[in-house]
Amino acid sequence: MAELEFEARLDRLFAQAPVFPDAAIFAIEVDHRLERGWTLRRLLIGGLGLLGGLFGVVQLVSLNVLSRAETLTAQSSKLLSQNVHQFIPLHLSFLDLPFGREILGMSAALAVIALVLGLTRAIEEI
Amino acid sequence: MAGSPNQRTAVTAAHDVELAARAALGERAVFGELVRRHSSAVRGLLRRLGADAALADDLAQDAFLAAFEQIAEFRAEGTFQAWVKRIAARLYLRRWRRDKRMDLMAETPEPDMRPVDESRRIDLDAALNTLSAAERLCVSLCYGGGFSHAEVADALNAPLGTVKSHVKRGLDKLRDRLAGADGQAGDQVHG
Repeated sequence: MAELEFEARLDRLFAQAPVFPDAAIFAIEVDHRLERGWTLRRLLIGGLGLLGGLFGVVQLVSLNVLSRAETLTAQSSKLLSQNVHQFIPLHLSFLDLPFGREILGMSAALAVIALVLGLTRAIEEI
Repeated sequence: MAGSPNQRTAVTAAHDVELAARAALGERAVFGELVRRHSSAVRGLLRRLGADAALADDLAQDAFLAAFEQIAEFRAEGTFQAWVKRIAARLYLRRWRRDKRMDLMAETPEPDMRPVDESRRIDLDAALNTLSAAERLCVSLCYGGGFSHAEVADALNAPLGTVKSHVKRGLDKLRDRLAGADGQAGDQVHG
């Protein structure tokens, strides 16, 4: 019993924090070190991002990727229009519809806007 | 951030768990309040483990920086203070292992050469000063850092029996020192 009482007393004594007159200064020093750490981290991330971006640009230029992509896009576009004309019956072509291409374009744009609004709403609810 | 007076009041009134959750979201000013609340306890523990004042303060700062880095891992299963104390104790033990300050396996306790001024009020820190370094470390880790005997043995890479005997001898000495102290006066602690 005495042993338990002594251990409880010891727990209580250890739980009591000493009083340090420079506690406020200590807290400020910790804050400064945290700030330094964050600044260094931001600089490091920014620097690495910049280096990565520069490296990417250099690679794009050196490999002539843009002109290759342009060629491939033109080829794909041509192939796609050929296939579309092959599979879509003539009576469904845009020219035969009872409304113009502008109306079709506007409808598509409205559909995209509605989709975006719906997604936004869904994300807000989540 | 806790900038306006109202926000500052809200921060000082908030519970540790709430502050820790906000700090986990990146609110550094809120973490500063946690440092203000618990720095003395952490610094005190490190000194009780045997660190000198300068080392204790350095390690306490490191412990709070580490706590901020790992704050998302704080699950509030215990108190925030106990969590940071364990981090601080582990940092001290890492330093201790690096410096290999003492041979825990040496069963012969260091002689207690410090004179005791009976007229002076005996407190915990004065009582801890009468323990050998190994006894002090083991007792403080168990009672101040919340370590089990097995955890201390593991951390110090020492046999469990050795740790238990250091704790027992340390407790015996503390009991003798603290027995004479008046209940209330003896429970007060100096920095």
